[in-house]
This record gives sequence, C-alpha cells and structure tokens, in this order.
Amino acid sequence: MGIKILPPDVAAKIAAGEVVERPASVVKELVENAIDAGASTIRVEIQEGGKRLIRVMDNGSGIPAEEVPLAFARHATSKLASIDDLNRVTTLGFRGEALASIAAVSQLTLVSRPASQLTATRIRLEGGQQKSLSAAGAPAGTTVTVENLFFNVPARKKFLKATATETGHIQRVVTCYALAYPHIRFILETDRRLVFQSTGSGNLFDALAAVFGPDIARQLLAVEGDLPASGETGPARVTGFTGATSLHRGARDQIILFVNRRWIQDRALNQAVVQAYHTFLPVNRYPVAVLNIEMDPAEVDVNVHPTKAEVKFREPRAVFKLVQKAVREAVLASAPTPTLTTPTLSPDVFHTGHAGDFRPRQTAFPAPAGPAASRFAFEAQRPADQPDDSPSPGLPDGQVPPLRVVGQVQQMYIVAEGPDGLYLIDQHAAHERILYEKLMAQQAQAGAPRQQLLEPVLVELSPGQAALLEAEAEALAAVGFDLEPFGGHAYRIRAVPQLLGQTDPTQALVDILAEMADGATPLARETHQKVALIVCKRAAIKGGQTLSYEEMRELVRQLEATSAPRTCPHGRPTMLHLSAAQLAREFGR
Amino acid sequence: MRVSCLQENLAKGLSIVGRAVAGRSTLPVLSNVLLATEGERLKLSATNLEIGINCWIGAKVEEEGAITVPARLLGEFVNSLPPERIDMHLDQETQTLNLKCAHFESNIKGIDAQEFPVVPTAADGDVSVKIDPATLRSMIEQVVFASATDESRPILTGVLVQFTEDSLTMAAADGFRLSVRKMPFDSYVGAPAEVIIPARALAELARISGDQEQPVEVTITEARKQILFHLENIDLVSQLIEGKFPDYNQIIPKSYATRSILETANFLKATRVSQLFARESANIIKLDIVPSGDELMNGRITLMATSAELGDNVADLDAAIEGDKMEIAFNAKFLIDVLSVIDTPQVVLETTSPSSPGVIRPLGDENFVHVIMPMHISR
Repeated sequence: MGIKILPPDVAAKIAAGEVVERPASVVKELVENAIDAGASTIRVEIQEGGKRLIRVMDNGSGIPAEEVPLAFARHATSKLASIDDLNRVTTLGFRGEALASIAAVSQLTLVSRPASQLTATRIRLEGGQQKSLSAAGAPAGTTVTVENLFFNVPARKKFLKATATETGHIQRVVTCYALAYPHIRFILETDRRLVFQSTGSGNLFDALAAVFGPDIARQLLAVEGDLPASGETGPARVTGFTGATSLHRGARDQIILFVNRRWIQDRALNQAVVQAYHTFLPVNRYPVAVLNIEMDPAEVDVNVHPTKAEVKFREPRAVFKLVQKAVREAVLASAPTPTLTTPTLSPDVFHTGHAGDFRPRQTAFPAPAGPAASRFAFEAQRPADQPDDSPSPGLPDGQVPPLRVVGQVQQMYIVAEGPDGLYLIDQHAAHERILYEKLMAQQAQAGAPRQQLLEPVLVELSPGQAALLEAEAEALAAVGFDLEPFGGHAYRIRAVPQLLGQTDPTQALVDILAEMADGATPLARETHQKVALIVCKRAAIKGGQTLSYEEMRELVRQLEATSAPRTCPHGRPTMLHLSAAQLAREFGR
Repeated sequence: MRVSCLQENLAKGLSIVGRAVAGRSTLPVLSNVLLATEGERLKLSATNLEIGINCWIGAKVEEEGAITVPARLLGEFVNSLPPERIDMHLDQETQTLNLKCAHFESNIKGIDAQEFPVVPTAADGDVSVKIDPATLRSMIEQVVFASATDESRPILTGVLVQFTEDSLTMAAADGFRLSVRKMPFDSYVGAPAEVIIPARALAELARISGDQEQPVEVTITEARKQILFHLENIDLVSQLIEGKFPDYNQIIPKSYATRSILETANFLKATRVSQLFARESANIIKLDIVPSGDELMNGRITLMATSAELGDNVADLDAAIEGDKMEIAFNAKFLIDVLSVIDTPQVVLETTSPSSPGVIRPLGDENFVHVIMPMHISR
C-alpha cells in the first residue's frame, strides 16, 4: 500500500478523536466557548449521559450570521489573531478546533443571535457536512445541540461507558466550571431533571455550597498565597478553599485545580496539596481543595494538549512550593479539633476514618460495667477558670487552650475541660504526638550523620537530574551526601546519609532527586518514617493503661506545648471537642 | 520404605538440614525434607535452591524407599519424642509416612520423592582442597559479618573466596567496611579459582561444622556454578553468585599517619559501653587519638558518645601510639563487629585522616585485615 494523503473527512475524524474523547469533552468545549462569549447564564442539558443529546445554551455575545458557517472550519477562531497572542492566551479556547471536531463526529445544530441582530442563524451539520443554513427566531446568545455523538465512529462509540458514568463526568465538568466562575449561573439538567444549579452570585462560597453542599462548604478554609516576582519569573497568586483536617476522602479527585480559571490536571500540584496535609490526615486519605492559581499567561503554556487539561509551567517548582505553602499555612492556622457530631450536623463529616467511629449518643459515656468502669469517676466538678463559652482570647489557631483533666474513660481516653467545653483526648495518640515532636527536634539538633563509602560510587544522571543536583547541592550536603562531579552528568558519591543504611547509594540518590523535583525536602520522608517508627515502638502509653491524675495532667500539659497538638504523626485526631454550646443544646437548656 | 533409627540421630539430622528448607516458596516440595534410604543409612536432604544440605544418619533399613514430608512438622514432632527408637513406614499408595515411637504414632502426608530437586553430593576423586574445620570456621566468622544484607547489590551479599596455589583468601564488604582473611596452605591441587559464595551459605557451613573433626573437603563444580563442602556425614552445596567482586586490594590503605596498639578486650568493652549512648544518635563514636610524644609511645585514646536525649559517655583507653594526633568517628556497630572476631590480645588501629579509611588488624597476625570507613556529622 503506497503512501497517500488521507481524505479530509478521515483526517477530521482522527483529529476529532484528540479533542472529543467522550461526551464530557464536548460539554467542556462548549461550556468554555460560552464562558469566552461572556455569558452570565449557561444551561447544559443532556440525555442518556450525553450519548443521545447534549445541549449547551448561553446568553453570551452570539455569532454574527455571516460568520456562522466559518465557525465550523478547522482552525477558525475569534480568539487569536497572531502567533504572539498564543503566548498570552487569556481565553479558554484558542485552537479553533473544538466546534469543527465536535461537528465531525455528531449531528450538530447551532442557533445563534448576537444581541444587535434581529434574527438568529440556524445551521445543521452531520458528520461535518453542512446540511442546512437558515434564519430562525431565538433569544440572544448561542445554543449548540449535539445529537448522536460518535454516530459515524462506531469504534469510539463502543468504548463509551455506562450512562451513569458519562453523566458523572459531565457533572464534574459543569461543577468545576461553576467553581471557577462563581459569577456565572450554571444549570445542569440530565434527562429533563435538574441536578445542579449554581447561583451566579459571584461569591465563591455560594458556589462551593452549591457543589459540595453547605455542610462541607462550612468546613473549607480560605487559602491565600503570593509568590513575588523574582528574576525572570513573574508574580503568581493562589487563592481558593481547602478542607479542614476533619474532611477527607478516599481518593484525590476532590482536589480541583485551576490556572487562570482554566481547570487543569497536574499530578505535581495535586501532590503539593496532599503534602501540605502531611501527618494531618489518616493514611491513604486525601483532602478536598479548590484552588485557582493566577499568573501571567506568559508563565504558563496551555497549548500542551488538545484538550488543554495539562499545562506546563515555566517554573514548576516555584508553583509547587507556592501551593504547598499556602495550603499548609491555611491548614496549620486552623487544624481544628474534630467536633463531636450531633444528629443536627451532617454525619457526612465523619463518614469514614477514625473520627467517624465516634458516635457520642452511643459511646461517649458508656454505662459503668465491670471493674474497669469503677475507675470512671468524675472528680467533684469545680468550675473552670473561664467557664464562658468563648475561646480564651489571644489563643493562636490550631493550638489547644489550657485544659483541666477531669478523668479517664475506658482506660483509653482522657476527659478534660477547657474554657470552651469538653475535650476527649486519645492518650495513645497524644503521647505519640509528644514523642514525635521531641524526637524530630532531636534529629534536627543532632545534625546529619554521614557515612563514608568504602569505594566511591559512580552515578550517571540525566541532564535534568544533574541540573537539580547542582541547584540543590547545599541541601544534599546538609543531609549527609558527599558528591563530587566526575565530568559530564556523572558524579561520584563519596558518602551517604547514615539514615539510608545499606540502601544502594545510586538508587537512593536518584529517588531523592525525584522527590526533590516534586518539591520535597531531601530525606524528609525517611526522617519522618524513622521517627514515626520509633514513636510507634516506644509510645509507652497505650490504650488500656490506667493513668493517675498526675500522669494525665502531665500528658495534657506536654500535648498543649506541641506545635500540632490535634493530630498524631499518622494523621489521626488526638482529641475530640464538644463545645459548651453543643452541650447546652443537647440538654435543651 | 521401612526404616528404624534413634530419635537423637533423627532430631540432630533434621536440625542440620532444617536451615536449608525454604521458608516460603511457590514450590511446596521445597518446604519438605527428603528422607531416602541409602545402604544402611538414612539420607536427609533439604534445599531452597540456593543452598542444599544432605545429612546421613545411621539406621536399620528393612525396605528401601524415599519420601518428602513437611520439614517443620517432622522436626517439631521428632524433637518432642522421647529418646527411643523410631520406626518409620511409608504407605506407597497414599504417600503417607507412618512414624511410631514409644506411645506415639503419627501419619504424615508427604509429597512424592521424585518431585524433590536433586541436591548434588560430592563425588570421590575431584576434591580440590581440604581445610581444617576449626580454621574454616574462624575464617568465616571473621569475614561473613561484613557482607551486605541488602539485596540491592547481590554481589556484596556474598563472600569472595580465592584459591591460589598456596593460600585461601576470603573477603566480604558491604560498601562501608571490608574484611579480608587469608590462610596459607599447601594442599591445593586445582587451578587457581575465584568464587563468590552467598554469605548465608558460609554462615550455615560454620554452624554445621561445629563438632566436626575431619578436614572439610571443598569442590568447585565450575560448569555448574556450584560449590560443595563435604563433611563427615554431611554435604552442603551452594549456588555461586555471578559477577565481579570489587578489587579489595585497592581499598586497603598502603600507609598510615597514626598507628595505635590497644588491648583488644578493653577496646571492645569501651566500645560496647559507648554504644549504649551512641545508638540513640546514629551509632556514632568519636575517637580522640592522642600520642604522648615520648619515646615509649605511651598515648591515650578517648572514646566519646553523645546522645541529645540520654547524655554522654567518655572512655579512656591506654594505647601505644605512633604518629599524629587524630580525631575520627566510626559506627559503633562496625567496631564491635570486628573487635568481637579478633582473637589476639592486642589490636592495631591505623588511621590517616578523619575522612580516610581506618584499618584494624590483630597484632602479630598478618592474615587478617579489616577496613572501616569513618563517619561525620554535617551541621
């Protein structure tokens, strides 16, 4: 078979495959067009998960009658005039491929009227071929109806998932854009049923409440961070909301990231958010976050992939650090104690995880039974120093107020009273936190022991790794590496951190460089693991151990002095809080 | 198969082969021990495909036969029997081994002996070298601890063994230290050879040669990449590790700046005491080596260990020191490991600089040398 140029319709279908992967991609492209058209209301209707029908209506600027047929030509766009514009793209779309691609694989009807014209234009295409063009009556704005997606690409159609799955993807697209554009009103209807609606009030909190529900929205913390311009790098700014430590999910998909309000997928930034929660969340649980990074469009390349879901930053490490730092600050500042849930609050908060096992109605104050329970005795109640409901003044967020020990429950939990209500402290988790901070401080003080190698090990790095190694030479030396250049991208490892033990030095260095490329501090993970392991082995106080009043008081005092008293090193909560107000409410006072 | 033997003999034989049994394997037969009659003896055999051990015990054979049974069950069962005669009988049909001893009788389900891999035995006539078992044991003990336990560099998990016309040398290194032990001899008949033997196999050999008196016969089957050790009533076969062992001669320093002679026992004891403090802080022990400057070479070595949490320890040792004053730090565990296997009353420590290798030798024994890399604390 000789080489020949593909017929245009075949080429169009191939190109369409890159942009239009599934119904949700169609929704994404059409919604982006609507946003670029300056719409204030965007209505999305789908049937059978978008496989049967997708309709996106907006009240935006519309397309003038004479330009309507041109909109479906490939590489036709109103958003870009010259190549220079490509370097500073401010609109969501710019490639001029979306409409042409969608039209190539569906039966598409577009009705559009700019506010200045009296009549709308209606065009219908099937498989990219224009079938009809006529005048019609319609409100100002554009309505695109896509029917029978992939009717002419059976291979792709076969791979579409169940209706529920495709609906889920579409819903995610719409809700994400509702978060990015809180001033636009989004409406989603599936099979003529309203499933989502945002207010378009311009208030992000309203959008969050519409997407996640008010209970979760209330648990979100504001994030704000700035990256000043440095050298050739322009300034960047991250804003948004991130979940409190009591809010976590089994997967990372609730970390939603935007760059200049463009919804993006970025593994590294995702990791930055997760890392910010280090030791605050239980193992294998992930935070909820909605973040927008604003930066000079010249600093970020969105033209990496036809769907524009991936972007390239000029300074990925700087952006990583910006996100991690801002989120970490927000989390540290609040690190709220999980509150005891009462039936009036959403049980969703504690739907999983350790905190969720706590159901105050059933287990908080079990009826005394057996000899162990006889130790469960409240002291004679003395009023606390500050019996009023408000937290003690001047208390930094994330810290705990001075607590007065009341007693021990189930030889496992310490009951304490604070100025703002009742605290239940897990004695084991609390002691782990105390030991962890003590040992970490010692590690930091002891310096980094370095073990010389019998024979220097030669390691050949990639140019990227070598550049990183040069840039971070000091940090690597500080943790105990002794490296010397050996020509080109080769280095000789003469000494390794003692912490690494017998690990293969080459592999260890490469792994650490990879972690540093993701923004991690070298050896931070190893140190944490080692210390956490020691803590696990040594944490003298376990559940089931009766503590004297003095022992409990000392434990609580030491816990108050730690920097993150509310979680143990493994991210489990050390304490639960039942506020005075909650107590009063529960007793109907 | 119908065999009788004494409980003591069977228990001892099972403990010898037991260490070669595969702990976890996808081949169930490797968790078994092979029992096979051979003339008037019962052969016990176990292998994890890296090491294989055969052991023969005296028995009264009434009917020839062979079977494999779960090694752990059989070992624990035989160990708990009274020291009397055990009668074993194999039901060919069901491959079940019936054991009777005093008031006990058990039936153990086995796997056909045909499925058991062949553990080679040393054939007569191609013995390469005979070594006194006590010497072999001491050589192994002096090097095997220095081999790597981490599997990421397989070669370093082995011990280099070099046969030359007039000597046998063993060397092991884990990247931080090197142990080399040499033994002159005059009975090697084969061509010079160099093999890397898994440290585990040598450790096992040292263990089972404990009460041997006859010389150990060593054979290398070049073609099959195996080494055989033939002991009285015991054969140990090990796979060899393929690859090139680092040239250790390059690593041993040729000169020194400071040479100290210490009492081995005192040095070891002081190091052990210091480790109580050092183990909290990366096991670092600092050695302050101070020569006295007079002709008699009297000097002092101060061992220092500090733990931020526990406190610190200082131990002074008298030493004959020649050369410069020096401060150097080592991993306490490395020092204890080597000092524990030095059997001369005095030991030599040679140092050049705080970041150059330290050398430890038994005083008056040129056949052993140990190199340890120092440590540092970067702040």
